[in-house]
Amino acid sequence: MNLMTKKFGPYPMGIWIALIALLLAFLGWLMQAYSLLDWEGAVKLGLQNGSFEGDAVERAVANKERGEAIADMLWPLPIAIVALIGLLRNEFIGFVAAMMEFAICIYFPLFYTFQLWNTDIETVIGANVLWAIPSLLGIIGLWANRQYFN
Amino acid sequence: MLEPTIFTWILIVFGLLTCGPLLYAQLIMVFKPHSEEARKLLIGKGEEWRDKSHFKSAYALAIADWILYLPVFIAGITGVILAQGWGYILFAAAGAIILYINIFLWFFEKEYVYPAVGPWAYYTYFWGNFSYWGFAALFYSILRLNGINF
Repeated sequence: MNLMTKKFGPYPMGIWIALIALLLAFLGWLMQAYSLLDWEGAVKLGLQNGSFEGDAVERAVANKERGEAIADMLWPLPIAIVALIGLLRNEFIGFVAAMMEFAICIYFPLFYTFQLWNTDIETVIGANVLWAIPSLLGIIGLWANRQYFN
Repeated sequence: MLEPTIFTWILIVFGLLTCGPLLYAQLIMVFKPHSEEARKLLIGKGEEWRDKSHFKSAYALAIADWILYLPVFIAGITGVILAQGWGYILFAAAGAIILYINIFLWFFEKEYVYPAVGPWAYYTYFWGNFSYWGFAALFYSILRLNGINF
């Protein structure tokens, strides 16, 4: 906990970790936004697995992934914006929003893990390394610095 | 200051009544994913999984809910009853997770589920109650944490 509360520049280490985890979340939402704008392009880039131009199985996967992408734009993206602004401004609402964002960012890699572990291990590892683990560290970092917020 | 009020208890009871049956159905899904009981509880009597993606999504959601959502939900309720700040943060996180899942399900499943069960069931125990609870728990927690008591 000492390392988490040690100040590096304007913020303690735990808050820096939370900010990095939030930026990684934004990276995810950016990928989802791009996918919604150009789905087949996102499939070619490897951002999504299911194509709407493929067979029935691929279309079913694409339908599920599109549902996730829309949900990500409507809910975790706005929370992430509130969290980022709130953390930078040292506001308590940023702390609460970041906690909610990190809970979601742990939940969906867990969902991917049990859905895809035997068919798409790269996505599982990617989701856990990019979002679940940083979010878990973000929660620890924020909790260690909970007195820091107004 | 954070002591439970009558409104808190209503939210807790509503949450337990809403999420309890789902978590029971998901427990069956976790341990007996291919059973008729799991199918009956999660998609309805006589219905089959639409495709492999539908089955795997339901299976992954069930495990993720038992690993993450249930502990956050129960710890949140416990903390709220004990009038602890962390309880309200977890309560808000549980609300955020359930709202996220239900926004996803709206786009992924509504076209199949809504015609099958009709508006009353859909907007109450099939989908609606989860969203109402998530929304209420989330905003109630934020208001209480900001010193607004009701």
